Amino acid sequence: MKIEITNLRFTYPTGLEALQGISLTINAGEQVAIVGQNGAGKTTLVRHFNGLLQPACGSVLIGDWDTKKTSVAKLASRVGYVFQNPDEQLFSRDVLTEITFGPRNLGYSKEKIDGLVKRALALTELSDKTEINPYDLSPTWRKMVALASIIAMDTPIVIFDEPTTGQDALNVARIANVIAELRQEGKTVVTITHDIDFCAENFERVIALSNGQVLLDGPAREVLGREEILAQTYVDPPQLTRLGKRLGLKETVRNQEEFLKAIW
Amino acid sequence: MHERLSFHMKRNSVIHRLNPLTKLVLILALILISFTSPWYWTPHFVLLLAIIPLSALGGVFPEFFKTATRLILPAASFLFLMQAFFQPIGEDVIFKFYFLDITQESLMFAFRNAMRVFVMVSAFTLFLLTTHPSELMSDLTRRGLPPQFAYVIISTLQILPQMQAKAQTIIAAQRSRGLDTESTFFKRAGSVVPLVGPLVFGSLVEVEERAIAIEARGFTSKHSKTSLHEIPDPSFDKVIRWVLLALVILSIAANLWLA
Amino acid sequence: MAFVELQNVTYKYPLTKTPALQNINLQINEGEFVAVIGPNGAGKSTLCYALAGFVPHFFKGEISGTIEVAGKESGKSTLDEWVLNVGLAFQNPFNQISGAKYTVFEEIAFGLENIGVPREEMKSRVEDAMALTGIRDLADRSPYSLSGGQQQRVALTSILVMQPKLLVLDEPTSQMDPIGTREVFGTIRKMAEDGMTVVLVEHKMEWIAQFADRVVALKDGSVLLEGKPSEVLTSDLLAENGFGISRYTSTAREAKKRGLWKKENLPVTLDEAVAGFKL
Repeated sequence: MKIEITNLRFTYPTGLEALQGISLTINAGEQVAIVGQNGAGKTTLVRHFNGLLQPACGSVLIGDWDTKKTSVAKLASRVGYVFQNPDEQLFSRDVLTEITFGPRNLGYSKEKIDGLVKRALALTELSDKTEINPYDLSPTWRKMVALASIIAMDTPIVIFDEPTTGQDALNVARIANVIAELRQEGKTVVTITHDIDFCAENFERVIALSNGQVLLDGPAREVLGREEILAQTYVDPPQLTRLGKRLGLKETVRNQEEFLKAIW
Repeated sequence: MHERLSFHMKRNSVIHRLNPLTKLVLILALILISFTSPWYWTPHFVLLLAIIPLSALGGVFPEFFKTATRLILPAASFLFLMQAFFQPIGEDVIFKFYFLDITQESLMFAFRNAMRVFVMVSAFTLFLLTTHPSELMSDLTRRGLPPQFAYVIISTLQILPQMQAKAQTIIAAQRSRGLDTESTFFKRAGSVVPLVGPLVFGSLVEVEERAIAIEARGFTSKHSKTSLHEIPDPSFDKVIRWVLLALVILSIAANLWLA
Repeated sequence: MAFVELQNVTYKYPLTKTPALQNINLQINEGEFVAVIGPNGAGKSTLCYALAGFVPHFFKGEISGTIEVAGKESGKSTLDEWVLNVGLAFQNPFNQISGAKYTVFEEIAFGLENIGVPREEMKSRVEDAMALTGIRDLADRSPYSLSGGQQQRVALTSILVMQPKLLVLDEPTSQMDPIGTREVFGTIRKMAEDGMTVVLVEHKMEWIAQFADRVVALKDGSVLLEGKPSEVLTSDLLAENGFGISRYTSTAREAKKRGLWKKENLPVTLDEAVAGFKL
């Protein structure tokens, strides 16, 4: 499902102009990473995708729905949003109930819910933890429960806000796995991240925001190579991209495969 | 990102410049006088002739008016109705509603009580609007209030707006999962659990971590504390406080005398 | 005797069965910058709490062994004395805001008020600390109005301003943007060069490799590896035990298999990787 943003502006009650005229189209099935410095407007932007924030000016279309005319609860059937802090999201007595909550709100049939929940559990490696209270799990696993509870809603668009923050290597790999699976299923994935190596390895398109405006937008290979421009929004290129540059490689490389091929 | 987290409005007014303790004494005196003065119209006059002019003097009348009409007035009106209907005093029935009678006495009684409550809440509103909480804490600590106690007061003043901001985020998270918080009452009642759970759990974690954070910054240190801000307490303030104290004593004395 | 010395430290939280720390032995010299790495649940945060005195003084539980900092023993001190020498900042910045202050400037001064620093000295120390971490422009903002990354800088500054002898940091940059993170690592490095001893828990291997003097790898509450970043971060044991490693190291390891990396040792920093791949 397509996300169409036209001349979007947003100002907080404090007077902070968080978004200053953003126009973007994210096509169905695209995997997009949003990067940029603290306070660049990344979270403010994605909170418009499911109507949590309303444009002061401009518009956001999710498929054929205008977010200004559609309730958040209704938009939830098209846009899943994984919050940064799982503790703001989890409330149920056990993992299974927690994950069932979203799809049940969307009014799916019992069979469909069972199937979706099972798939989400398997994808997040939580199948053996269904009866545990989320708050008895480590923060790492709580993060996976939060992920699963959104994936189970089977929305065509999934948003992740800083999914890898505070996660160890194993869990980052699990999260990358989930995103790869969503790609397979043809979902649109939009992820805010500061982890630029994670971004390089898992996303095809990168949008760099700075001061509420789009600084760069394009294929990851192009965007992540623009060191000077990225620095304006406090982002370093990925480790291997920098290494490739220092070695004088002509092409911008993003990951191990590309790097090894380039120096072969 | 978050909303403003204290009621305090930054202005440069006579009221703002008063010592925080003077302001605290002022509003407590107004409340005590409203509650103890034997004269029936005292709370009404305190509101009209003291609190409202003081809010204008402090440059916070618009904010004060907003809180008073949106929050305090409905609460006081509710109290008024309850007391007017259910206070079984007086014979002079002026209004009948099924089995409920309103008498002249119950009406007068309810009116005064509602006004007293109105004065109490609006006086505190005025105080919060014009007093910077950290100045109040510094000043009270300097006067010998245990810092732990001062901390509790101050963080409580902050906690409501904070909880509100947090609740907003939690509500946003649950609405994103298709929870309908905007429709019928029954749906809304059913949606309380997903909101309260994270709020309570979050608060428990928060309390523990915050305790660690302030302890790590020497909160229970046995050193005598110092204060970043110097809070002036001129003799003018002291005079005001004594005058207010005298008025309160007069009011209580009059009450006892006539009783 | 080292500046920080842990001897046979084993610790169990109340109501838990397995120890969070098992027989930890650690010596850290004054002015040394030690990074602690490990998967979630390895005991990194518990180690931080133990160094900062909160284990066991705050959390209770069972502890054995001794923890010494600057010649004082934790078990024989009270927490309020201990925190004068040891500063702690941890991951969640929101919960580190005191709640008693309304501006960033006041927030940073909070600790100095508590330990009775005179007003004029307090102001200049707050100014200096804010300059060091680059948050001067936030001085008059409410700490609650800041973004997570900015709040983390405030939390770090609030503890730096106390001038602790040992600075303990538990993922202090988790919400910061990439260049902001690098800057903060640089600041911490500078503090260590000026004589502050630093223990830092982090996942960001590239900056650990570049800035830390030594790395301690924890796993299941025990020390798995310990040594120079170039030794620890290139060990095969890390990848096998679920530790993160930098792309320089992992890519060079793969390149070595294919004969594209000629050196014996694997790189941990960009410069080492550049030098090695140029061969």
